Amino acid sequence: MTHPSHQRNRRRHRVRGLIGVLFAFSLVAAACGSDDDSDDADEAPAATEAMAEESMDDSMDDDMMDESMDDESMDDESMDDDMDDSMDDESMDDSMDDDMMDLSGTKVTVFGPESSEEEAGAMQDALDVFAAATGIEIVYTGARDFSDQINAQAVGGNPPDIAVFPQPGKVGDFAAENWILAVPDSVTSAIEAQWPAGSLDTVTFGGTLYGVPNKTDLKSIVWYNTEIFSSGGFSVPESLTELQILTADMLAAGITPWCVGIESGPATGWPFTDWMEDLVLRVQDENVYDQWVAGDLPFADPRIVGTAQFVLELWNIPGAVYAAGGSIAATPFGDNGEPLVAGDCAMHRQASFFAAFLPEGTSVGPGQEIDVFYFPAVAAKGNRPVLTAGTYVSAFRDAPEVWAVMEFFGSAEYANARQAAQAARQGGGQSGFLSANLDQDLSLYNDLERSFVEILQTASPARFDGSDLMPAAVGAGTFWTEGTSAVNGDKTVAEAFAAIDASWPQ
Amino acid sequence: MGALGGALIGVVIAIGVSTALFFGANWLFDLAVDRWRTFLATSGALVGALIGAVIAGNDVAGGPLWVWAALCAVVGAAAGIAASLPGTPSKPRRTRLSERGRLVTFLGPSLLFVALGLVIPLLRSIYLSLLDSRASEWVGLANYGEILTNPNSLDLSGWTEIFTSRLFYAALVLIAVGLGIGMAVGRRRGRTMEALPGSIGPIAIGLFVLSFAVFTTLRGTVINNLWWVVVVTGLSTALGLAAAVLADGVRWESVAKSLIFLPMAISFVGAGIIWRFMYIARPPQKPQTGFLNAIWVWLGSLRPRTTGAWVAVLILALVTVLLAGLCAFGVRRRQTAFAIGAAVTAVPVLWLIYRFLGPGLGGSVPGPTGEPIAGTILFLQEAPFNNVWLMVVLIWIQTGFAMVILSAAIKAVPAELIEAARVDGATERQTFWNVIIPTIIPTITVVATTLIVLVMKVYDIVKVMTAGNFGTQVIANEMWQRAFTELNFGLGSALAVVLFLAVVPAMAFNIRRTQRADA
Repeated sequence: MTHPSHQRNRRRHRVRGLIGVLFAFSLVAAACGSDDDSDDADEAPAATEAMAEESMDDSMDDDMMDESMDDESMDDESMDDDMDDSMDDESMDDSMDDDMMDLSGTKVTVFGPESSEEEAGAMQDALDVFAAATGIEIVYTGARDFSDQINAQAVGGNPPDIAVFPQPGKVGDFAAENWILAVPDSVTSAIEAQWPAGSLDTVTFGGTLYGVPNKTDLKSIVWYNTEIFSSGGFSVPESLTELQILTADMLAAGITPWCVGIESGPATGWPFTDWMEDLVLRVQDENVYDQWVAGDLPFADPRIVGTAQFVLELWNIPGAVYAAGGSIAATPFGDNGEPLVAGDCAMHRQASFFAAFLPEGTSVGPGQEIDVFYFPAVAAKGNRPVLTAGTYVSAFRDAPEVWAVMEFFGSAEYANARQAAQAARQGGGQSGFLSANLDQDLSLYNDLERSFVEILQTASPARFDGSDLMPAAVGAGTFWTEGTSAVNGDKTVAEAFAAIDASWPQ
Repeated sequence: MGALGGALIGVVIAIGVSTALFFGANWLFDLAVDRWRTFLATSGALVGALIGAVIAGNDVAGGPLWVWAALCAVVGAAAGIAASLPGTPSKPRRTRLSERGRLVTFLGPSLLFVALGLVIPLLRSIYLSLLDSRASEWVGLANYGEILTNPNSLDLSGWTEIFTSRLFYAALVLIAVGLGIGMAVGRRRGRTMEALPGSIGPIAIGLFVLSFAVFTTLRGTVINNLWWVVVVTGLSTALGLAAAVLADGVRWESVAKSLIFLPMAISFVGAGIIWRFMYIARPPQKPQTGFLNAIWVWLGSLRPRTTGAWVAVLILALVTVLLAGLCAFGVRRRQTAFAIGAAVTAVPVLWLIYRFLGPGLGGSVPGPTGEPIAGTILFLQEAPFNNVWLMVVLIWIQTGFAMVILSAAIKAVPAELIEAARVDGATERQTFWNVIIPTIIPTITVVATTLIVLVMKVYDIVKVMTAGNFGTQVIANEMWQRAFTELNFGLGSALAVVLFLAVVPAMAFNIRRTQRADA
């Protein structure tokens, strides 16, 4: 079904490959001309600068580099030296050769779950910026069933150089199998300061970092049709109770309040797990949440079962849910973008990336066709819990060019390039991309996306998507399938959750 | 273009090397009979060259490859000549040696590849199935126990519901009718039981319905697989046979058969996607885009006591009158097939009339305000019959296969046999049931067993259409999910072994049948 776009992608890859080779040649030529083609260090970002200073302290080569830095700068992007320096840092410890940084002609493959034209395209665009600067040929491939495929590739011994994991739990599994490599200290120190405290903890196992953040998703938000809200005189709910009242009011007014769809191919069921997690955080609290995610609290616990019943009771109110595929379990989660805009339903709880699934040309933001409100908390608790998710990149191959790309993924340059590219591909509207990088250029975001960043920053507590932290057999297995059975009415919540508990690896 | 060129060159090289090997080996073993010493020297040199190449290739010792190969070839040749010095064995012995050598040379490579590609992975799967999820600790048969005790893979708890299902009683009635006819006819001919279409037919359909009663109450992955095997094998073979017989000798035979055969050309994944569109349901307030739901909802719009329903009843009444006429015609001319066929067809037509007059037919449910709104069928989500809708896809594909093979078998029935039957006064019907069917029974079994093996491994259709959700899981998809989604290689391998064990008997039977048919 995606045949034409595939072909187009391949053609584009080929053209990019050509450009990459040309760049490689030009860089080789440039490297022959001078010892070090770094730009002026002052232009480099703060983190890079700090690192350059570090490397100067312990290296004999610095004088020479210092001198060469004053050389006339090339027309290359300033990013060039970001990575030159980092490579210097590594290579100078054991050898004196300077041209180690010349990575042109090398190739790095990246494989990830983002496969839509917008997301995968923007990813490749952002990587191309780095490819152009370094001469590394970087090829991104996206697949909808990434989770299955990466397992098969890792077991079969032909993994990509870098994989984009949507689940930190899986990063842990892969680390335990020694399939992915620990992130070297040089890369860690280069990116550490750019990320909010704790955001690397989800991919740190046994004190070792195994992944670099790629993007962040804000999950605790509800997309709503502003036309329905204003014409019906509805206001944005401030508490969970108000949300329930709003649902009832809309039903009474003959409006279908919700769009829900949980179909997602082999991952069918995950939107249900998101609802569950958001409500465990609200109706219960973060301690219950943590215990539950860690497996210390069984799914059969009345608090967890009760939360699931809360969700299903809301969905099962007659007429409360519009499902484009006939039933919730049959509706692909992305297919609800169009009915939301068309006014078939008023609200849709879905993560920040949902913007990419809205019909082209939809205006999003305060006062526009579609706006977003924070999925409200229980008023009495007075907290503001937020569910987040995100993807992390991990490396399978130990090579300087791979670590250079890994470091780029953790940099503000990547966040900026990806943000710009994805916004452009979305026709200048909502990009759907969000990064938690502290050094990124927030002016690239539109108002709505800046409000996401604000929700992220004011969150208390913030928790990472629980199903992504659970062992794969549950988080990418029975929580999805048994949850789907419960949603579809094949099993009761109690039956389904007992089956999940039985499947939890001992 | 480059890839294509490379592939072509590869094919040419492979064919060239194979041809050279073939003639070379033949020449070598001819030498063994005629010139013993040359044979020993040449084979010694060849073995030596191979060993030399392996030594150099694996960096056991330094030096270029060709030097080692040449050196070892010379040594091997010398050893061969030395071996020939004690004397030449007798001619019969040499002939025997040459035959054995030929056997090993030609069979060896294929056996090696079979071992590498099939036997070793099989043994490894069996080994892995006895280990835990990360293939590190011995757990014995725990994985097999898990398959048998997990309610998702085998759930027999609902067995009592068999006796309350309508399907069960329908099946009993059909079987009783079949037995009754068989015994009645048998008594007339002085036997307890007579096997004839009138008795075998109802019994076969009864057993089929009985299987539905069983499979809809006992649930789980393993049961689903059995259900697939029974339904798809049974219906594909039966429909294929029917198509082959009905199309045999009619004017548009090739066109009709081509149309039925066409779906064979569609991949399982493609068929799954096509049928998803057939089954898709849309919210009641939207027009239905799925073919089947569009029809269903349209029928539902013909509410009882509206013009649409009256027109439908009128048409159906005309059909009933026609069927009654046919039945009367059959009774008068003693054409039992006509009479029974018409009477049986009239039953669903009368039922349709009743639905249109009374409760209404089709997709229509009371909406929130009481007004009837479209009621769709969620073909892929409503368990347990969603399994049947998935099976329809495979039946659609495989009927053509069964038809082509069975059609060929029917055409291969010797004309003398049929003529002899006619001369003896057999009717068309008797010729078919007593001459043609017994003759093509071996072909029917081969078709059925081939289908059993294929259906047992069904994966793509389920993966594409439901991903195993909604109670449609099958062993092959479960195996993939356990092993590769959840990284539980123990359980995944155990499922693979179960599938293997289930397929082997059908496979062995099939191969033996084929061999007998060839002989």
